Amino acid sequence: MPPATKTIFHVDMDAFFVSVEELFDPALKGKAVVVGGQRTERGVVSAASYEARKFGVHSAMPLRTAAKLCPHAIFVDGHRDRYLEYSEKVYQVLTSFSPLVEMASIDEAYLDMTGTERLHGPILCAAHGLHHKIKSETQLNCSIGIGTSRLIAKVSSAKAKPHGILWVIPGREAKFLAPLDVRDIPGVGKVTEQSLSALGIHRVGDLARFEDSFLEEHFGKWGLALAGKARGEDAGGWFDNAVGENTEAKSISHEHTYNEDTADVAKIESTLMRLSEMVGRRLREHGLHARTIQLKLRYKDFTTTTRAHSLPAPTQLDTEIFEQVRALFRKNWRKGGQVRLLGVHASSFEAGAGQRDLLEDGRRQRWQQALAAADRLRDKFGEASVSLATGMKGGFREKTHENPAGLPGKKERA
Amino acid sequence: MPVEAIASATGTTTMEITVSKFELLRELTATQGVVERKTTIPILSNYLFEAAGDKLSLTATDLDLSLRTSCNAKVKKEGACTIPARKLHDYVKLLPDADITIKLLENHWVSIRCGRSNTKMVGMARSNFPSLPTFPTAGVVKIPAQVLRGMIAKTGFAIASEESRYTLNGALMVLKPESMTMVATDGHRLSHIERAGTKFEGVSGEMKTLVPKKAMDELKSLLDSTDAEEIDFAKDESTLYFRIGSRLLTSRQLTGQFPNYEAVLPKDTTKSITVHGDDLAAAISRVAQFADERSRAVRMRLEKGELKLSASSTEMGESEDSIEIDYNGETLAIGFNAQYLLDFLKATGGGDVKLEFKDAQSAGQMRPAEGEEYKYRYIVMPMRI
Repeated sequence: MPPATKTIFHVDMDAFFVSVEELFDPALKGKAVVVGGQRTERGVVSAASYEARKFGVHSAMPLRTAAKLCPHAIFVDGHRDRYLEYSEKVYQVLTSFSPLVEMASIDEAYLDMTGTERLHGPILCAAHGLHHKIKSETQLNCSIGIGTSRLIAKVSSAKAKPHGILWVIPGREAKFLAPLDVRDIPGVGKVTEQSLSALGIHRVGDLARFEDSFLEEHFGKWGLALAGKARGEDAGGWFDNAVGENTEAKSISHEHTYNEDTADVAKIESTLMRLSEMVGRRLREHGLHARTIQLKLRYKDFTTTTRAHSLPAPTQLDTEIFEQVRALFRKNWRKGGQVRLLGVHASSFEAGAGQRDLLEDGRRQRWQQALAAADRLRDKFGEASVSLATGMKGGFREKTHENPAGLPGKKERA
Repeated sequence: MPVEAIASATGTTTMEITVSKFELLRELTATQGVVERKTTIPILSNYLFEAAGDKLSLTATDLDLSLRTSCNAKVKKEGACTIPARKLHDYVKLLPDADITIKLLENHWVSIRCGRSNTKMVGMARSNFPSLPTFPTAGVVKIPAQVLRGMIAKTGFAIASEESRYTLNGALMVLKPESMTMVATDGHRLSHIERAGTKFEGVSGEMKTLVPKKAMDELKSLLDSTDAEEIDFAKDESTLYFRIGSRLLTSRQLTGQFPNYEAVLPKDTTKSITVHGDDLAAAISRVAQFADERSRAVRMRLEKGELKLSASSTEMGESEDSIEIDYNGETLAIGFNAQYLLDFLKATGGGDVKLEFKDAQSAGQMRPAEGEEYKYRYIVMPMRI
């Protein structure tokens, strides 16, 4: 256990995307709502209302499957800018409670509330205050989990849903976890669940009964992490950083799934251009230059190829990113292969572009200026307001996903 | 197998020669650089041995580049065979200094006997070995060996290793009746050297050639070990030929347009200093120990009477060095990749160098303070600091 008991809040917005959509269209209230696209479209569910979830709809499920499970659901397109706006509002409230806030994703955050009793009163009072303030400032519901670790806070907020608060009193962590399904532990997915089940481990309590060394033997490092998690500790790398510690993005990526698979080179390349633009835009937003550019190519049969190339000098220019992914695509595409999904991924960040170019400095600078102007237009008139010509044919609505349950995602984790 | 190949395969099923270990090893060593290391075509990791008259000729190729050389041999039976290059080199190195007898056996096996050592190596059919272009009979230019060697040494390091900028993967060689120029750039720095006052017979007008990096490297090592005064240079549509003594290097030509380098040569530098090359190199090497490992950025600061060099990184700390200079102009702070500066200082080999700048955004120029027969200049783009 860490020294001195920590008090961590996990604030998780209830059905965030759907709730935001309801603010803009109150008629949606209380209905089965699916956010992410139209029922006949390919692509996946970004979020579903509690009413839709009753029919088995959940995020990351294909839209068409959702339509089958819940035919009467109302399907709405996602609005990324709305969610970002409300996420920012939530963030503002959170920072008024603790300086140590980490937005784990667009709709959830960890707060380190250790030692704030004299400011906000006893823990539960503080939680009620926060709960109330978020509702009054944003009209949105949230659930708050409180514990001595991020893991406990995360698990307890899930148990507090919807619109509840759950505090796991220090010292009672193992007891709280024991009856829970192993799948409730963040990081335990289908695969781990199956391997655990083969050992007769179904509940967290079963896990806690085994020696660390036994788990290590079976699962290696992951086994040790599991043992720690079963005791309620932040073990195994998900939560290596303290809350609020500045964790910088390691990569930026954008993907697109076609509604209909395609082998049309012009179409594919224009999509790559569009994705490159989106990646370039975010690099510039964060003031980063990427040295490594990667292409992700998924075919109709779901076979997936990823190929990366390192540039001689880091870039944040759409055109240079595109040049690389196009080259990677042309080199690696199985001629005629039906493409289902494309992704452009940038990593190996450097803060400055560093080395100036002798032969192309002028050209680069002109691009830099042109793209900066385009960014200003987008800030003002929206993402679709301006685009490079090649990318125009590749236009598509940007899709936003809530973090799938159980993944304690970090900021900008790609 | 095509008919001709069968004919030649059956026509050369014999070969038996004796060579001195010293001579053979010398030629094997000279050609190792050309043998492809990671080839998917097995024959390219073999030598072609051809015995005729009183010579054994050895050929290695990676299809882009090939090197043909020869040594004296007692030829008992004329013929040809192929032998795995790296293994042969490694083995011959270990043999005593004595005569080696090489004989072609059945199934392309090759017997190698030396004193009491006896080895049979698995070869491949001679007919698999690619045919190589032959030296043109016309249009041969003679280039002084030491001139070419010096020019390669002073430009070769600036060639791009990044494959995406294809035409930068070689140096541009420009021959005129009375001058020769070589230019190389990787897009960040450019090295340019010109030699006037030498007559090049066989050149009319301007003869421009893009020499690939691998050919430059190979040429350099061949020139290092030759006592020939002049080399023969020729080219046809697809191939470059360099004959250095008894060795013939052929290279596929790089096609494409070398960038218009003349446009980037600085013309309006306003600040100039002269420093001793060794002093500058030493100071840069010291502070560069504390530069960011990836960018290798060092900062240069020109002040009245002083050139300050510094570097810093969050992990390692910071370091500064200063050199006394004769300078009265405006203060200028400019960043460079330390390696780029050191490459040039190493190539110039010591003496005084002149540094010229315009501002922190524009290319800087470096050149030896006293150029005699050569006009050597090095252009480096700064880094944002």
